[in-house]
Amino acid sequence: MFNSTFNNFNEILDMGGHGIYVWSVYLIGISIIAISFLIAKKRIKEEHKKIKLKNASS
Amino acid sequence: MITAFIHKFSSPKSFVILTEKLYPFFIIAGVSMLILGWTWGLLFAPQDAVQGNSYRIIFLHVPSVIFAELIYFFMAVCALMHLVWRVKLAAYLIKSAAPIGAMITFIGLFSGSIWGIPTWGTWWQWDARITSTLILFIMYLGILTLHASFSNLEKADRLMSILVVIGVVNIPLIKKSVDWWSTLHQPASISVSGSSSIDPSMLYPLLISVIGLGFTLISLGILSSRSYILSREKNKKWVSERV
Repeated sequence: MFNSTFNNFNEILDMGGHGIYVWSVYLIGISIIAISFLIAKKRIKEEHKKIKLKNASS
Repeated sequence: MITAFIHKFSSPKSFVILTEKLYPFFIIAGVSMLILGWTWGLLFAPQDAVQGNSYRIIFLHVPSVIFAELIYFFMAVCALMHLVWRVKLAAYLIKSAAPIGAMITFIGLFSGSIWGIPTWGTWWQWDARITSTLILFIMYLGILTLHASFSNLEKADRLMSILVVIGVVNIPLIKKSVDWWSTLHQPASISVSGSSSIDPSMLYPLLISVIGLGFTLISLGILSSRSYILSREKNKKWVSERV
């Protein structure tokens, strides 16, 4: 079960001719999820900033 | 009594405090399990006899579509809580979960389309499963657009909840589409109640990927809801004190 299906790095990249489909899906999927995290963290920072400004002015 | 219980444990303040503590667990567990599941699935699971290596898209595609439906179901439960018991946190959670639902539905549709090219010879087919999932994606966008179109946020919360409840009819349609209609999309390979048709060497990494993506999306939901709660409750004393 834990023997790699592939013999070398080129085989991993190629995946029997299906590498372009498999790797593009994972690359784009992971990028979208990572960007969503960055956006969520940025929004929290922005909200904190707004609230701090409001607190400082009042 | 039920109403008092719900209101006690559904205050935005309690939610933020609790989720801040839970976030590290979910993000570490989620990312670790995704790395394990995807490494196992991509490098160590055997090649499929019919589809070759293109089937390895399953380790992202299946978890994505499972959570595309589960997030909507969660939103529908929240919508009922908001409409019946006027729980404002429930509305905040719908608004925070909808973009995540849209994002993961898009990944499900996109990965399915790419998988379709080598296996079906086409990236798109208007069959029942794919079309109902596209409707789900449009529902998510519609919910977000509806909420954004009102300046009165309480009214927006109510109308958004009503739309979410109406749209829940699409979830059993997606689930049963491959059984009720003749579709290009294959029937379910894994089942919670019955036996799965997929080999354990592929099933285990798939299950780990499902749980890993679930934890990752919960941690994203925690971040998303925190920023939305802060924006909605910015005039409350507890928000000023925490920030």
